[in-house]
Amino acid sequence: MKALKKTPLLRKASKAFLLNSIAFMLLSGVALYFYTQSLLQNEIEEELLSTKDRVEHLLQTNPNIQDIPPVIAIAKSKIQQKNSLKDTLIYDPLQDEVELFRQLSGTQIINGTNYRITVRAMVIESQQILLAIVFIFLLLIVLAFVFLFYLNRSRNAKLWQPFFNNLARIKSFNVKSDEPIHLEESDILEFDELNQEVAHLTSKIQVDYRNLKQFTEDVSHEIQTPLAMMQAKIETGFNEPDLSEGQYVMLSALQDDIRRLKNLNKRLILLAKIENNQFTQEEEISINNIVVEITGNFRELTDTVFALRGNTPLKVKMDPHLAQILCTNLISNAVKYTIENQPILIKFTAKSLQISNAGVQELKDATQVFDRFYKEGNQKDSTGLGLSIVKKICEHYGFSPSYSFKNKADSTENMGFHCFEIKFFT
Amino acid sequence: MKFLIAEDEQDLRDAIVNYLSDEANICEQAADFNEASEKLELYDYDIAVLDINLITGSGLDLLKRLKAQNKSCGVIIISANNSLENKLEGLDLGADDYITKPFHLAELNSRIKAVLRRSSFGGNDSIIFHELRLDTASRTAFVNEKAISLTRKEYDLLLFFITNQGRVLSKAIIAEHLWGDDSDMLDNFDFIYVHINNLRRKLTSEGAKYIQTAYGTGYKFTAI
Repeated sequence: MKALKKTPLLRKASKAFLLNSIAFMLLSGVALYFYTQSLLQNEIEEELLSTKDRVEHLLQTNPNIQDIPPVIAIAKSKIQQKNSLKDTLIYDPLQDEVELFRQLSGTQIINGTNYRITVRAMVIESQQILLAIVFIFLLLIVLAFVFLFYLNRSRNAKLWQPFFNNLARIKSFNVKSDEPIHLEESDILEFDELNQEVAHLTSKIQVDYRNLKQFTEDVSHEIQTPLAMMQAKIETGFNEPDLSEGQYVMLSALQDDIRRLKNLNKRLILLAKIENNQFTQEEEISINNIVVEITGNFRELTDTVFALRGNTPLKVKMDPHLAQILCTNLISNAVKYTIENQPILIKFTAKSLQISNAGVQELKDATQVFDRFYKEGNQKDSTGLGLSIVKKICEHYGFSPSYSFKNKADSTENMGFHCFEIKFFT
Repeated sequence: MKFLIAEDEQDLRDAIVNYLSDEANICEQAADFNEASEKLELYDYDIAVLDINLITGSGLDLLKRLKAQNKSCGVIIISANNSLENKLEGLDLGADDYITKPFHLAELNSRIKAVLRRSSFGGNDSIIFHELRLDTASRTAFVNEKAISLTRKEYDLLLFFITNQGRVLSKAIIAEHLWGDDSDMLDNFDFIYVHINNLRRKLTSEGAKYIQTAYGTGYKFTAI
């Protein structure tokens, strides 16, 4: 479905008002024009007819009436003709111009003589009156609309103000906070109902969120004791004198499973703690030093080579423990997924840290790589939480993590780099 | 040595007691806060292992009482909560060490022995196993008083082996002891082989063949 274009409420209301007004103005202007025009035309025709009657009347007593060009013309005629009306252009010597006249022309037998009587009236005057009327009408109506438009707009703005205020409060509402949402009271019934619904929903969400968080924490902690018991029993089992090799293999596999569960649990607790803002210590941390330290630790655990590029000092204000976790998770992710014997590239810039490991092709769901329990491939032992912890830490401090895949330029092989970048500053 | 294990889960308590008890060590148990409190008042222990979440009270309160009584008893706190605050609180109150559930018994044993070493005064910083001697002050190992050069990890590994002598240690236990949290950054423990093999080679070349392979993938430090 195509996304609808979003317009602010007040603008939308103003726009509707404006469009309606313009349509109304045009229609009424046109209607007024034609109505006035026909009125004026009738008026002229009435006048012409009555003038012609007067001329005929005069001709009965005095057949020698002079023409008054171009307004009255009398001529003897042999043809009989009915009254006919038409527009005509005639040169008016008085004004030295060709003007538009309305002309009534017809023959009449007066005292036995057939006269052709033509009377004319200037149209220009009525045209001007017509334009003046329409112009004044439009002017008044435009003024009225402008006035109404601003009145309407300020009235609307005032009317919707509580709605906008509350919208801003809903936007800044934080589900993680313990504070209930405070909405401005309104004397408009629907707004009041909306407020109540929103308050109800948000408090429900807050309670659910707290319960969920509490649940995660409780489960995570409660699970530790049974895990400890299982692990202790396995170790007791290891030292049973008549243990067979098969049993040992089974027990140590169980031990690995417990370790996985323990790691998963530990990470869930960590995520919960970050969400609870339990890391409040802030220090100026040198990311360079942390990375050097971590890669140093890794040298004892893996043969993977780390190539550190760039020595721009990268200093970030954050909790030292979280800084450690952030870098460790990124590096261990790279170590886990890199192609064997391919170095991990670590690059520092003044604003960001880039960690790249060799890979065959771009991840299928690149956008989900930082999500919880996202797993690509079949790394059986991964908890699927390492990168989501990275994301959570980034969210906590406003860093922006990103993933991209870069093809290796100088290689014909099907190989490139998975590049994870953390921008600490914008 | 006399230990008190205050832990309300019986299975876990039994496993700990079973692992720690031998000819040299006596383990007493306490199933709840009151029992632990009573025993700590009546008897003297070298080490008290206290669970924070005892059903009827907190292990931290036991710790406070112990410290108030000025008893020279080493204390190791067990907690199901690995939050830093809890850990710091425990250590601030005077606990000698802090271990989070789930833990390996070998790890608990190694922590207890470390506390015992720290608390015993002077002249006792040598650990002796047949012709092997570890000087814990200088962190050096000797075979027949001849120093052998070990890396930091190899030394830690040897110390861990001697502490848990005669016990079967899986790779996971060893990895978690040597690398702690870092050990779960990688998927397999193959890297352990390198360190164990190096240590074994160095010891064997001096005639100390004590690192035995147990059940294919585990290890056992024993004089056979």
